[in-house]
Amino acid sequence: MSRAIAAPSTSEGPLAVLARFLRSDGFARLASYLFLVVLWQLVSLYEDRFPGPAETFGFLWIEVTGGAHGGVVRGQFLEPFAATLPRFALGIAISMALGVVTGVVIGGSRLAEALLKDTLLVLVALPAIIWAFLTQMWLGLGDDAVVITTFLSAFPFVAVNVVQGIQAIPRDLRRMSGAFHVPLYRRLRHMQIPAVTGYLFAGFRFAVIIGWNAVLLAEWFSASEGVGWRSRYWYDANRYKGFVGWVILFIAFIVLLDRLVLVRLQRRAFRWRDAQLSATERQAEEIDVGITGA
Amino acid sequence: MSSTTVERGPRGSAHLSIAGRRRVRGVAGLLIGVGGLLLVWTLLSEFVFGEFLLPPPLEIGQIMWEIVRSGAFIEHFVPTILRLGYGFALALLIGFPVGYLMGTSRWWRAFFHDMVMVAGSIPGITYAVMALVILGISIFGPVISVGLVAMPYVAINVAEGLDSVDRRLVQMSDAFRRQRSSVVRHVLIPSVAPFAFAGVRLSFALAWKVEQLTEVFGGSSGVGFQIRREFEDFSIPGMLAWVLLFIVFMILLERFVLARLERYLFRWRLEDKA
Amino acid sequence: MAILQVDHLKKTFPAIERRSKSTTAIDDLSFEIGGHVFVSVVGPSGCGKSTLLNIVSGIEEPSSGKVSVSEGERDARLGYVFQEPRLLPWRTVMQNMLYVIEGDNGDPRERATTYLRMVGLQDAGDQFPSQLSGGMQQRVGIARAFSVEPDLLLMDEPFSHLDAITARGLREQLQEIWAQTKKTVLFVTHDITEAVQLSDRVLMLAPGGHLYADVPIDLPRPRRASDTQVATAQAELLRRFETMQEDTDAAGAAEVAS
Repeated sequence: MSRAIAAPSTSEGPLAVLARFLRSDGFARLASYLFLVVLWQLVSLYEDRFPGPAETFGFLWIEVTGGAHGGVVRGQFLEPFAATLPRFALGIAISMALGVVTGVVIGGSRLAEALLKDTLLVLVALPAIIWAFLTQMWLGLGDDAVVITTFLSAFPFVAVNVVQGIQAIPRDLRRMSGAFHVPLYRRLRHMQIPAVTGYLFAGFRFAVIIGWNAVLLAEWFSASEGVGWRSRYWYDANRYKGFVGWVILFIAFIVLLDRLVLVRLQRRAFRWRDAQLSATERQAEEIDVGITGA
Repeated sequence: MSSTTVERGPRGSAHLSIAGRRRVRGVAGLLIGVGGLLLVWTLLSEFVFGEFLLPPPLEIGQIMWEIVRSGAFIEHFVPTILRLGYGFALALLIGFPVGYLMGTSRWWRAFFHDMVMVAGSIPGITYAVMALVILGISIFGPVISVGLVAMPYVAINVAEGLDSVDRRLVQMSDAFRRQRSSVVRHVLIPSVAPFAFAGVRLSFALAWKVEQLTEVFGGSSGVGFQIRREFEDFSIPGMLAWVLLFIVFMILLERFVLARLERYLFRWRLEDKA
Repeated sequence: MAILQVDHLKKTFPAIERRSKSTTAIDDLSFEIGGHVFVSVVGPSGCGKSTLLNIVSGIEEPSSGKVSVSEGERDARLGYVFQEPRLLPWRTVMQNMLYVIEGDNGDPRERATTYLRMVGLQDAGDQFPSQLSGGMQQRVGIARAFSVEPDLLLMDEPFSHLDAITARGLREQLQEIWAQTKKTVLFVTHDITEAVQLSDRVLMLAPGGHLYADVPIDLPRPRRASDTQVATAQAELLRRFETMQEDTDAAGAAEVAS
């Protein structure tokens, strides 16, 4: 937040203090949220199927605390997350494993790169919705379909990052260790893996954001429980405040996960590189990974 | 720029110039890459998934050809591309002023900061279904989705670009008593344009994916709509055909059209002296 | 009819670091310029010549004193030629010319072409600055400043970034245009020989920013660098410049000793 609200000097009137507050960064931030809420309210007035902020938060309160909606349906909060998170985690884990292997293969061999790089590009370009449709046609409904959609959507991004990481190792470094006949193990441990870690982490962050998007999409179509399913449940029941409420929950989840955990970790992993970035570049990096990766 | 020149060597034999050789290597690389793709695909189709689950390239190829031949390609690609264009126009329209504010005023930077950050993490399905609920089945769904997805990129890039405006040109404008609006139009916007364009290029892949999804949910025409129809018909080959056509087209679009456009817009940079 | 009046002008820059003193760029400067004259301001680097131009053009504010730039009742129109051409790189030469006369009366294109012709670049209208050499870009800058048809033309060491041969050629061209258009020019340079060749009057600034000498140059035009009279005048002014240097050094030494 801002430090703009300093202790007023004895000669400052209340009006000056107010003015200073209004000009502060903290207020700017507050104003942006207020603005969004007002905008939301206006949209809901324009389209009466669309719920307003009050309705939605009322709904969320009942849902989260397990109260009874309309006296009949019980609110669920933990259950959907409990169903989704394992699928999500599994999907990410497989993407990382497969992604790293693929990345190492493609990045390490010029032949493999020539043959497979374009395939990888196509995989990156495939929208998650296609995977969701395909897995549903392959496997029908259920857990498997969701996990597979998740990992298929995410793993190409991991692979691409790993490839970049490996290729970023300056050729001189590689030649140097060759010239000194450094054994493979040591080469991996001291040169390739540390250099790649940063990119590995970037890949991981992509995987998480895209994976979350994919999980929700997959659950929307093929699941009988979970976060994506729950939001569809309300949508099908024409209770749009339920749908919008869950949208807020799943956006909140990923934003918190991303901002609080991932960005911190990524900064550490990329410490050596970030030292060179300017403040504006760093800010641009923060917005970088906008992956709504449909 | 570079062209494939065939020059006559000293003994009269033709040999390619450096640029020409690069071109040939590029084409060869592409052929190998595509070959590799087809190879992997065929193998997976034959031995892993089976022809029903993963139709072989030939079958898909035939359908793709049919789509193009029958004119369905044009019928559905044109609306999709148009919406993409409008969406980016919207992103530029909103992104420029937002970026300008963020780049010149601390207060506004704080104001937009969170919004711009979160916009990057909003799952695509959100845009798709919200558009459906608020706007119903309409052309605006995809357009607005693309606009919202690309706008943060444009804004951030514009904000960064403002840092790079040459103060000396602004001083010159002041010395000649140019009006503020003139300075914005002739100095600021052209300085920042390359950055805004970079924003568009960065968000391109993202934007078309979100558009796809929005069309799947709430379209009445367009590639996404076709994909949904094939899905409802339970036709894996049909779906794959449309999607691949689309992906190839998008990659070509980005690599050739966008790149050309970028070169044209910024041709004033270090022209080759005649 | 004085176009430019400088009255006890003073400009100091505050100390950057805590330990250093503030710098006085201009110290109690007063002079007047009017009519069809070419006036040079000469001095070593750091004596405030560019600052003077910035203040006259309004880019900077004086610390004290007054500067008035006027043509009779109204504010004078200014033209400015910088050290670097400062052309908009994303606009063609013609568009650059038009940029500064936007909103003026008459046919802008015709006017722009006329002035481009004066510098010999009437055919370069459709080229981008990056396609021109440094000398050519500077010629466009000069044409641009003249095309504004200013009451007062400010020039800040316009030839200092060019090679000697190009600079010589441009000096001659400048004299021609000036003779044709009859403008008032305030020309800043560190090169005394250049000042003598071009001007009717040379204002010598000492380090520390005060006016050391106001020397009229009464030689027939056009003046070539190879003219004997020009060379003599140059030598004389150089001698005065050296004397100024010695006096300043002596004063400085005395200050240190005290």
